[in-house]
Amino acid sequence: MTVIHPNMQDENAKIRARGVSVFYGDKTAIDDVSIDISPDYVTAFIGPSGCGKSTFLRCFNRMNDTIPAARVTGLIELEGEDIHGDGMDVVQLRARVGMVFQKPNPFPKSIYENIAYGPRIHGLAEKKADLDIVVERSLTRAGLWDEVKDRLDDAGTALSGGQQQRLCIARAIAVDPEVILMDEPASALDPIATAKIEELIDELSGRYAIVIVTHSMQQAARVSQRTAFFHLGKMVEYGPTSEFFTNPIEERTKDYITGRYG
Amino acid sequence: MAEHTVKAFDEDITRLRGLIAEMGGLAEVAIQESLDALVRGDEELAEKVVARDKRIDALETEVDKLAVRIIALRAPMADDLREVIAALKIGGVLERIGDYSKNIAKRAGMIEGRARFEPLTLLPAMGELAGEMVHDVLTAYAARDPELAREVIATDAKVDAFYNSIFRNLVSYMVENPSTISSAAQLLFVARNIERIGDHATNVAEMVHFAATGVYPPEGDR
Repeated sequence: MTVIHPNMQDENAKIRARGVSVFYGDKTAIDDVSIDISPDYVTAFIGPSGCGKSTFLRCFNRMNDTIPAARVTGLIELEGEDIHGDGMDVVQLRARVGMVFQKPNPFPKSIYENIAYGPRIHGLAEKKADLDIVVERSLTRAGLWDEVKDRLDDAGTALSGGQQQRLCIARAIAVDPEVILMDEPASALDPIATAKIEELIDELSGRYAIVIVTHSMQQAARVSQRTAFFHLGKMVEYGPTSEFFTNPIEERTKDYITGRYG
Repeated sequence: MAEHTVKAFDEDITRLRGLIAEMGGLAEVAIQESLDALVRGDEELAEKVVARDKRIDALETEVDKLAVRIIALRAPMADDLREVIAALKIGGVLERIGDYSKNIAKRAGMIEGRARFEPLTLLPAMGELAGEMVHDVLTAYAARDPELAREVIATDAKVDAFYNSIFRNLVSYMVENPSTISSAAQLLFVARNIERIGDHATNVAEMVHFAATGVYPPEGDR
Protein backbone atom coordinates (compact mmCIF):
# COMPACT_ATOMS: atom_id res chain seq x y z
CA MET A 1 0.00 0.00 0.00
CA THR A 2 1.33 3.36 -0.99
CA VAL A 3 -0.06 6.53 0.54
CA ILE A 4 -0.14 9.18 -2.17
CA HIS A 5 -1.04 12.74 -1.26
CA PRO A 6 -3.81 14.40 -3.34
CA ASN A 7 -3.15 15.84 -6.81
CA MET A 8 0.13 14.14 -7.49
CA GLN A 9 -0.56 13.14 -11.10
CA ASP A 10 1.14 15.37 -13.62
CA GLU A 11 0.09 16.38 -17.13
CA ASN A 12 3.64 17.35 -18.05
CA ALA A 13 5.18 14.10 -16.88
CA LYS A 14 8.20 13.01 -18.91
CA ILE A 15 8.30 9.61 -17.30
CA ARG A 16 5.30 7.59 -16.25
CA ALA A 17 6.03 4.46 -14.26
CA ARG A 18 3.12 2.11 -13.65
CA GLY A 19 3.19 -1.00 -11.50
CA VAL A 20 6.96 -1.35 -11.72
CA SER A 21 8.59 -4.26 -9.91
CA VAL A 22 12.24 -5.29 -9.93
CA PHE A 23 13.55 -8.70 -8.98
CA TYR A 24 17.13 -9.79 -8.31
CA GLY A 25 16.84 -13.51 -8.86
CA ASP A 26 13.90 -14.44 -6.62
CA LYS A 27 14.33 -11.45 -4.32
CA THR A 28 11.90 -8.57 -4.82
CA ALA A 29 13.82 -5.28 -4.77
CA ILE A 30 10.95 -3.03 -5.88
CA ASP A 31 7.33 -3.98 -5.48
CA ASP A 32 4.61 -2.45 -7.66
CA VAL A 33 5.59 1.22 -7.73
CA SER A 34 3.86 3.90 -9.82
CA ILE A 35 5.00 7.51 -10.14
CA ASP A 36 5.15 10.46 -12.56
CA ILE A 37 8.37 12.38 -13.13
CA SER A 38 8.03 15.91 -14.49
CA PRO A 39 10.33 18.83 -15.27
CA ASP A 40 8.02 21.04 -13.22
CA TYR A 41 9.61 19.90 -9.98
CA VAL A 42 12.52 17.99 -8.51
CA THR A 43 11.57 14.58 -7.17
CA ALA A 44 13.53 13.11 -4.25
CA PHE A 45 13.65 9.44 -3.32
CA ILE A 46 14.55 8.78 0.29
CA GLY A 47 14.70 5.68 2.44
CA PRO A 48 17.12 3.48 4.36
CA SER A 49 19.91 1.55 2.63
CA GLY A 50 18.60 -1.40 0.70
CA CYS A 51 15.06 0.01 0.41
CA GLY A 52 15.20 -0.11 -3.39
CA LYS A 53 15.29 3.60 -4.17
CA SER A 54 18.46 3.42 -6.28
CA THR A 55 17.22 0.27 -7.98
CA PHE A 56 14.02 2.07 -8.90
CA LEU A 57 15.96 5.11 -10.15
CA ARG A 58 18.06 2.88 -12.37
CA CYS A 59 14.91 1.53 -14.03
CA PHE A 60 14.32 4.85 -15.75
CA ASN A 61 17.25 4.45 -18.14
CA ARG A 62 17.45 0.68 -17.97
CA MET A 63 20.69 0.61 -16.01
CA ASN A 64 19.40 -2.58 -14.38
CA ASP A 65 19.86 -4.28 -17.79
CA THR A 66 23.56 -4.44 -16.97
CA ILE A 67 22.87 -6.69 -13.95
CA PRO A 68 22.30 -10.22 -15.27
CA ALA A 69 20.04 -11.42 -12.43
CA ALA A 70 17.83 -8.32 -12.48
CA ARG A 71 14.36 -8.46 -13.99
CA VAL A 72 12.02 -5.49 -14.38
CA THR A 73 8.26 -5.80 -14.84
CA GLY A 74 5.56 -3.18 -15.26
CA LEU A 75 5.37 -0.22 -17.59
CA ILE A 76 7.77 2.71 -17.84
CA GLU A 77 7.04 5.33 -20.49
CA LEU A 78 9.28 8.17 -21.61
CA GLU A 79 7.14 10.75 -23.41
CA GLY A 80 4.49 8.08 -23.89
CA GLU A 81 6.92 5.56 -25.34
CA ASP A 82 7.55 2.22 -23.61
CA ILE A 83 11.25 2.21 -22.73
CA HIS A 84 11.28 -1.60 -22.90
CA GLY A 85 9.61 -1.55 -26.33
CA ASP A 86 11.27 -3.00 -29.43
CA GLY A 87 11.84 0.40 -30.99
CA MET A 88 13.75 1.74 -27.99
CA ASP A 89 17.49 2.14 -28.49
CA VAL A 90 19.09 1.83 -25.06
CA VAL A 91 22.03 4.05 -25.96
CA GLN A 92 19.60 6.71 -27.12
CA LEU A 93 17.51 6.22 -23.99
CA ARG A 94 20.50 6.85 -21.75
CA ALA A 95 21.24 10.07 -23.61
CA ARG A 96 17.66 11.22 -23.06
CA VAL A 97 17.70 10.04 -19.45
CA GLY A 98 21.12 11.06 -18.13
CA MET A 99 22.66 9.97 -14.89
CA VAL A 100 24.99 11.38 -12.26
CA PHE A 101 26.50 9.08 -9.66
CA GLN A 102 27.64 9.36 -6.07
CA LYS A 103 31.31 9.50 -6.90
CA PRO A 104 32.27 11.87 -9.71
CA ASN A 105 33.47 9.74 -12.62
CA PRO A 106 34.93 11.99 -15.30
CA PHE A 107 36.55 10.28 -18.28
CA PRO A 108 40.36 10.26 -18.04
CA LYS A 109 40.43 12.94 -20.70
CA SER A 110 40.49 16.72 -20.89
CA ILE A 111 37.66 18.82 -19.48
CA TYR A 112 36.71 19.73 -23.04
CA GLU A 113 36.63 16.11 -24.19
CA ASN A 114 34.53 15.05 -21.21
CA ILE A 115 31.77 17.31 -22.48
CA ALA A 116 32.32 16.93 -26.23
CA TYR A 117 32.39 13.14 -26.19
CA GLY A 118 28.64 12.59 -25.83
CA PRO A 119 27.43 15.12 -28.42
CA ARG A 120 30.03 13.78 -30.87
CA ILE A 121 29.10 10.09 -30.62
CA HIS A 122 25.39 10.94 -30.67
CA GLY A 123 25.94 13.09 -33.74
CA LEU A 124 24.54 16.20 -32.08
CA ALA A 125 27.56 18.28 -33.10
CA GLU A 126 30.44 17.43 -35.39
CA LYS A 127 32.29 20.58 -36.31
CA LYS A 128 34.70 22.03 -33.77
CA ALA A 129 32.78 25.32 -33.73
CA ASP A 130 29.51 23.54 -32.90
CA LEU A 131 31.18 21.45 -30.22
CA ASP A 132 32.70 24.60 -28.72
CA ILE A 133 29.22 26.02 -28.35
CA VAL A 134 27.88 22.86 -26.70
CA VAL A 135 30.86 22.69 -24.34
CA GLU A 136 30.52 26.30 -23.26
CA ARG A 137 26.75 26.07 -22.87
CA SER A 138 26.89 22.85 -20.86
CA LEU A 139 29.65 24.07 -18.57
CA THR A 140 27.81 27.36 -18.09
CA ARG A 141 24.58 25.63 -17.17
CA ALA A 142 26.51 23.43 -14.76
CA GLY A 143 27.98 26.56 -13.17
CA LEU A 144 31.52 25.51 -14.02
CA TRP A 145 32.42 27.62 -17.05
CA ASP A 146 34.03 30.54 -15.25
CA GLU A 147 36.17 28.20 -13.19
CA VAL A 148 37.51 26.13 -16.11
CA LYS A 149 37.27 28.25 -19.26
CA ASP A 150 41.02 28.96 -19.25
CA ARG A 151 42.03 25.35 -18.78
CA LEU A 152 39.73 23.26 -20.92
CA ASP A 153 42.68 21.07 -21.95
CA ASP A 154 43.49 20.08 -18.38
CA ALA A 155 42.48 16.60 -17.29
CA GLY A 156 38.94 16.36 -15.90
CA THR A 157 40.32 14.29 -13.06
CA ALA A 158 42.55 17.20 -12.00
CA LEU A 159 39.52 19.18 -10.82
CA SER A 160 38.32 19.19 -7.22
CA GLY A 161 35.62 16.70 -6.19
CA GLY A 162 32.84 19.27 -6.38
CA GLN A 163 34.06 20.54 -9.74
CA GLN A 164 34.31 16.98 -11.05
CA GLN A 165 30.71 16.38 -10.03
CA ARG A 166 29.58 19.52 -11.82
CA LEU A 167 31.64 18.37 -14.81
CA CYS A 168 29.67 15.12 -14.75
CA ILE A 169 26.43 17.08 -14.63
CA ALA A 170 27.66 19.22 -17.55
CA ARG A 171 28.49 16.01 -19.40
CA ALA A 172 24.96 14.71 -18.82
CA ILE A 173 23.49 18.02 -19.98
CA ALA A 174 25.65 18.14 -23.11
CA VAL A 175 23.54 15.55 -24.93
CA ASP A 176 20.40 17.56 -24.18
CA PRO A 177 18.58 15.03 -22.02
CA GLU A 178 14.95 15.25 -20.90
CA VAL A 179 15.52 13.62 -17.55
CA ILE A 180 18.52 13.65 -15.20
CA LEU A 181 18.83 10.95 -12.57
CA MET A 182 21.10 11.73 -9.63
CA ASP A 183 22.13 8.98 -7.26
CA GLU A 184 23.43 10.71 -4.13
CA PRO A 185 25.23 13.33 -6.20
CA ALA A 186 26.60 15.24 -3.21
CA SER A 187 27.32 12.61 -0.60
CA ALA A 188 31.03 12.58 -1.39
CA LEU A 189 31.32 16.37 -1.36
CA ASP A 190 32.01 19.00 1.30
CA PRO A 191 29.21 21.39 2.37
CA ILE A 192 30.24 24.19 -0.01
CA ALA A 193 30.46 21.90 -3.03
CA THR A 194 27.18 20.34 -1.89
CA ALA A 195 25.51 23.75 -1.76
CA LYS A 196 26.73 24.46 -5.30
CA ILE A 197 25.27 21.18 -6.55
CA GLU A 198 21.98 21.92 -4.80
CA GLU A 199 21.86 25.42 -6.29
CA LEU A 200 22.59 23.86 -9.68
CA ILE A 201 19.75 21.35 -9.27
CA ASP A 202 17.43 24.24 -8.50
CA GLU A 203 18.53 26.09 -11.64
CA LEU A 204 18.27 23.06 -13.89
CA SER A 205 14.79 22.17 -12.65
CA GLY A 206 12.15 23.31 -15.09
CA ARG A 207 14.41 22.59 -18.08
CA TYR A 208 15.02 18.97 -17.11
CA ALA A 209 12.97 16.48 -15.09
CA ILE A 210 15.26 15.73 -12.16
CA VAL A 211 15.13 12.81 -9.78
CA ILE A 212 17.54 12.70 -6.88
CA VAL A 213 18.24 9.82 -4.53
CA THR A 214 19.67 11.05 -1.27
CA HIS A 215 20.38 9.83 2.22
CA SER A 216 20.26 13.35 3.57
CA MET A 217 16.72 14.27 4.48
CA GLN A 218 17.75 17.88 4.81
CA GLN A 219 19.01 17.72 1.24
CA ALA A 220 15.75 16.21 0.02
CA ALA A 221 13.91 18.95 1.89
CA ARG A 222 16.11 21.65 0.40
CA VAL A 223 16.20 20.65 -3.26
CA SER A 224 13.00 18.79 -4.02
CA GLN A 225 9.37 19.76 -4.36
CA ARG A 226 8.16 16.17 -4.21
CA THR A 227 9.40 13.37 -2.05
CA ALA A 228 8.85 9.62 -2.12
CA PHE A 229 9.79 7.40 0.81
CA PHE A 230 10.82 3.81 0.08
CA HIS A 231 11.03 1.00 2.58
CA LEU A 232 11.62 -2.71 1.96
CA GLY A 233 11.03 -2.32 -1.78
CA LYS A 234 7.72 -0.50 -1.44
CA MET A 235 6.97 3.16 -2.00
CA VAL A 236 5.43 3.94 1.39
CA GLU A 237 4.43 7.55 0.84
CA TYR A 238 4.66 10.12 -1.94
CA GLY A 239 3.74 13.76 -1.55
CA PRO A 240 4.72 17.43 -1.77
CA THR A 241 8.03 17.89 0.05
CA SER A 242 6.73 20.64 2.35
CA GLU A 243 3.84 18.45 3.53
CA PHE A 244 6.02 15.40 3.63
CA PHE A 245 8.47 16.81 6.16
CA THR A 246 6.00 18.70 8.32
CA ASN A 247 2.98 16.42 8.37
CA PRO A 248 3.56 12.99 6.87
CA ILE A 249 0.56 10.67 6.73
CA GLU A 250 2.18 7.27 7.20
CA GLU A 251 3.55 6.21 10.57
CA ARG A 252 6.60 4.58 8.94
CA THR A 253 7.42 7.80 7.08
CA LYS A 254 7.15 9.77 10.29
CA ASP A 255 9.35 7.36 12.20
CA TYR A 256 11.97 7.48 9.46
CA ILE A 257 12.16 11.24 8.99
CA THR A 258 12.08 11.96 12.71
CA GLY A 259 14.90 9.51 13.37
CA ARG A 260 12.86 6.81 15.08
CA TYR A 261 13.59 4.17 12.47
CA GLY A 262 14.41 0.92 14.30
CA MET B 1 5.75 7.43 21.02
CA ALA B 2 8.71 5.37 19.84
CA GLU B 3 12.14 6.51 20.94
CA HIS B 4 14.60 8.31 18.70
CA THR B 5 17.64 6.36 17.60
CA VAL B 6 19.66 9.25 19.03
CA LYS B 7 18.69 9.15 22.72
CA ALA B 8 19.89 12.69 23.45
CA PHE B 9 17.17 13.94 21.10
CA ASP B 10 14.52 12.36 23.33
CA GLU B 11 16.17 13.93 26.37
CA ASP B 12 16.02 17.37 24.74
CA ILE B 13 12.34 17.01 23.86
CA THR B 14 11.50 15.69 27.33
CA ARG B 15 13.30 18.61 28.91
CA LEU B 16 11.47 21.07 26.65
CA ARG B 17 8.13 19.56 27.62
CA GLY B 18 9.16 19.68 31.27
CA LEU B 19 9.94 23.41 31.05
CA ILE B 20 6.54 24.12 29.47
CA ALA B 21 4.81 22.06 32.17
CA GLU B 22 6.65 23.98 34.89
CA MET B 23 5.75 27.34 33.30
CA GLY B 24 2.15 26.24 33.01
CA GLY B 25 1.99 25.16 36.63
CA LEU B 26 3.38 28.51 37.78
CA ALA B 27 1.00 30.43 35.51
CA GLU B 28 -1.95 28.48 36.89
CA VAL B 29 -0.99 29.26 40.49
CA ALA B 30 -0.38 32.90 39.57
CA ILE B 31 -3.91 33.31 38.23
CA GLN B 32 -5.44 31.87 41.36
CA GLU B 33 -3.23 33.68 43.86
CA SER B 34 -3.50 37.04 42.11
CA LEU B 35 -7.29 36.86 42.42
CA ASP B 36 -7.06 35.71 46.03
CA ALA B 37 -4.83 38.67 46.75
CA LEU B 38 -7.23 41.01 44.97
CA VAL B 39 -10.35 39.78 46.72
CA ARG B 40 -8.78 39.79 50.18
CA GLY B 41 -6.66 42.85 49.61
CA ASP B 42 -3.68 40.71 50.58
CA GLU B 43 -0.74 42.80 49.41
CA GLU B 44 1.81 40.39 50.77
CA LEU B 45 0.45 37.60 48.58
CA ALA B 46 0.28 40.06 45.69
CA GLU B 47 3.98 40.77 46.07
CA LYS B 48 4.69 37.06 46.03
CA VAL B 49 2.83 36.72 42.73
CA VAL B 50 4.79 39.61 41.25
CA ALA B 51 8.09 38.16 42.46
CA ARG B 52 7.32 34.69 41.17
CA ASP B 53 6.60 36.04 37.71
CA LYS B 54 10.36 36.47 37.29
CA ARG B 55 10.69 32.71 37.44
CA ILE B 56 8.14 32.35 34.61
CA ASP B 57 10.10 34.90 32.55
CA ALA B 58 13.33 33.01 33.18
CA LEU B 59 11.71 29.74 32.13
CA GLU B 60 10.53 31.32 28.89
CA THR B 61 14.10 32.30 28.09
CA GLU B 62 15.17 28.73 28.79
CA VAL B 63 12.45 27.38 26.48
CA ASP B 64 13.59 29.76 23.72
CA LYS B 65 17.21 28.74 24.05
CA LEU B 66 16.49 25.02 24.16
CA ALA B 67 14.07 25.18 21.21
CA VAL B 68 16.61 27.08 19.11
CA ARG B 69 19.30 24.60 20.10
CA ILE B 70 17.12 21.62 19.16
CA ILE B 71 16.32 23.15 15.79
CA ALA B 72 19.98 23.94 15.13
CA LEU B 73 21.48 20.67 16.35
CA ARG B 74 18.80 18.07 15.74
CA ALA B 75 17.02 19.41 12.66
CA PRO B 76 13.65 18.06 13.85
CA MET B 77 11.12 16.88 11.30
CA ALA B 78 7.38 16.24 11.16
CA ASP B 79 5.75 15.95 14.61
CA ASP B 80 9.08 16.70 16.34
CA LEU B 81 9.31 19.94 14.39
CA ARG B 82 5.73 20.86 15.18
CA GLU B 83 6.33 20.01 18.82
CA VAL B 84 9.34 22.32 19.09
CA ILE B 85 7.63 25.19 17.25
CA ALA B 86 4.55 24.78 19.44
CA ALA B 87 6.69 24.79 22.61
CA LEU B 88 8.38 27.98 21.42
CA LYS B 89 5.04 29.71 20.93
CA ILE B 90 3.37 28.23 24.02
CA GLY B 91 6.29 29.48 26.12
CA GLY B 92 5.62 33.01 24.89
CA VAL B 93 1.91 32.74 25.61
CA LEU B 94 2.42 31.37 29.14
CA GLU B 95 4.78 34.23 29.84
CA ARG B 96 1.97 36.64 28.84
CA ILE B 97 -0.47 34.82 31.09
CA GLY B 98 2.03 35.31 33.92
CA ASP B 99 2.13 39.03 33.12
CA TYR B 100 -1.64 39.32 33.24
CA SER B 101 -1.68 37.68 36.67
CA LYS B 102 1.04 40.03 37.80
CA ASN B 103 -1.07 42.98 36.64
CA ILE B 104 -4.07 41.64 38.53
CA ALA B 105 -1.98 41.20 41.68
CA LYS B 106 -0.67 44.76 41.44
CA ARG B 107 -4.23 46.05 41.79
CA ALA B 108 -4.77 44.25 45.12
CA GLY B 109 -4.17 47.45 47.10
CA MET B 110 -6.22 49.69 44.86
CA ILE B 111 -9.73 48.53 45.68
CA GLU B 112 -11.74 50.51 48.22
CA GLY B 113 -14.84 49.43 50.14
CA ARG B 114 -14.42 45.73 49.45
CA ALA B 115 -17.20 44.53 51.73
CA ARG B 116 -20.03 46.18 49.79
CA PHE B 117 -18.56 45.76 46.34
CA GLU B 118 -20.43 42.92 44.66
CA PRO B 119 -18.49 42.61 41.35
CA LEU B 120 -15.49 41.59 43.39
CA THR B 121 -17.25 38.32 44.15
CA LEU B 122 -17.81 37.59 40.44
CA LEU B 123 -14.17 37.82 39.46
CA PRO B 124 -12.84 34.71 41.26
CA ALA B 125 -15.38 32.51 39.46
CA MET B 126 -14.30 33.97 36.13
CA GLY B 127 -10.67 33.55 37.12
CA GLU B 128 -11.31 29.96 38.12
CA LEU B 129 -12.79 29.23 34.70
CA ALA B 130 -9.80 30.81 32.93
CA GLY B 131 -7.47 28.94 35.30
CA GLU B 132 -9.21 25.69 34.40
CA MET B 133 -8.66 26.43 30.73
CA VAL B 134 -4.95 26.88 31.39
CA HIS B 135 -4.88 23.71 33.47
CA ASP B 136 -6.74 21.64 30.88
CA VAL B 137 -4.73 22.95 27.95
CA LEU B 138 -1.54 21.91 29.71
CA THR B 139 -3.00 18.48 30.37
CA ALA B 140 -3.86 18.34 26.66
CA TYR B 141 -0.30 19.39 25.86
CA ALA B 142 1.21 16.75 28.13
CA ALA B 143 -1.06 14.03 26.70
CA ARG B 144 -0.91 15.35 23.10
CA ASP B 145 -4.69 15.23 23.24
CA PRO B 146 -6.38 17.25 20.44
CA GLU B 147 -9.89 16.46 21.76
CA LEU B 148 -9.23 18.05 25.13
CA ALA B 149 -7.65 21.00 23.31
CA ARG B 150 -10.90 21.51 21.43
CA GLU B 151 -12.86 21.42 24.67
CA VAL B 152 -10.65 24.19 26.02
CA ILE B 153 -11.33 26.25 22.91
CA ALA B 154 -15.07 25.78 23.45
CA THR B 155 -14.78 26.98 27.07
CA ASP B 156 -13.50 30.39 25.97
CA ALA B 157 -17.05 31.43 25.04
CA LYS B 158 -18.03 31.08 28.72
CA VAL B 159 -15.16 33.28 29.82
CA ASP B 160 -16.21 35.87 27.25
CA ALA B 161 -19.81 35.73 28.52
CA PHE B 162 -18.52 36.25 32.06
CA TYR B 163 -16.57 39.27 30.89
CA ASN B 164 -19.61 40.84 29.23
CA SER B 165 -21.75 40.33 32.29
CA ILE B 166 -19.11 41.73 34.66
CA PHE B 167 -18.56 44.65 32.33
CA ARG B 168 -22.26 45.57 32.39
CA ASN B 169 -22.38 45.07 36.13
CA LEU B 170 -19.41 47.38 36.74
CA VAL B 171 -20.76 50.05 34.43
CA SER B 172 -24.08 50.13 36.27
CA TYR B 173 -22.21 50.40 39.58
CA MET B 174 -20.27 53.33 38.28
CA VAL B 175 -23.43 55.01 36.99
CA GLU B 176 -25.32 54.53 40.23
CA ASN B 177 -22.51 55.43 42.55
CA PRO B 178 -19.72 57.57 41.09
CA SER B 179 -17.63 57.11 44.23
CA THR B 180 -16.97 53.51 43.11
CA ILE B 181 -15.59 54.59 39.73
CA SER B 182 -11.96 54.32 40.70
CA SER B 183 -12.28 50.79 42.14
CA ALA B 184 -14.67 49.64 39.43
CA ALA B 185 -12.27 50.84 36.73
CA GLN B 186 -9.54 48.75 38.34
CA LEU B 187 -11.81 45.74 38.30
CA LEU B 188 -12.60 46.34 34.63
CA PHE B 189 -8.91 45.97 33.92
CA VAL B 190 -8.84 42.79 35.99
CA ALA B 191 -11.82 41.32 34.13
CA ARG B 192 -10.18 42.30 30.88
CA ASN B 193 -6.95 40.56 31.92
CA ILE B 194 -8.81 37.37 32.80
CA GLU B 195 -10.59 37.51 29.46
CA ARG B 196 -7.21 37.80 27.75
CA ILE B 197 -5.93 34.79 29.71
CA GLY B 198 -8.84 32.80 28.26
CA ASP B 199 -7.89 33.95 24.75
CA HIS B 200 -4.29 32.94 25.32
CA ALA B 201 -5.29 29.53 26.66
CA THR B 202 -7.30 29.18 23.45
CA ASN B 203 -4.20 30.00 21.40
CA VAL B 204 -2.24 27.38 23.29
CA ALA B 205 -5.04 24.88 22.62
CA GLU B 206 -4.79 25.59 18.90
CA MET B 207 -1.05 24.98 19.01
CA VAL B 208 -1.49 21.77 20.98
CA HIS B 209 -3.96 20.62 18.34
CA PHE B 210 -1.52 21.57 15.59
CA ALA B 211 1.43 19.87 17.25
CA ALA B 212 -0.58 16.69 17.77
CA THR B 213 -2.34 16.47 14.43
CA GLY B 214 -0.54 18.75 11.96
CA VAL B 215 -3.67 20.82 11.34
CA TYR B 216 -5.35 23.65 13.21
CA PRO B 217 -8.75 22.94 14.77
CA PRO B 218 -11.71 23.62 12.47
CA GLU B 219 -12.84 27.26 12.25
CA GLY B 220 -16.17 26.49 13.96
CA ASP B 221 -14.32 25.67 17.20
CA ARG B 222 -12.57 28.99 17.39
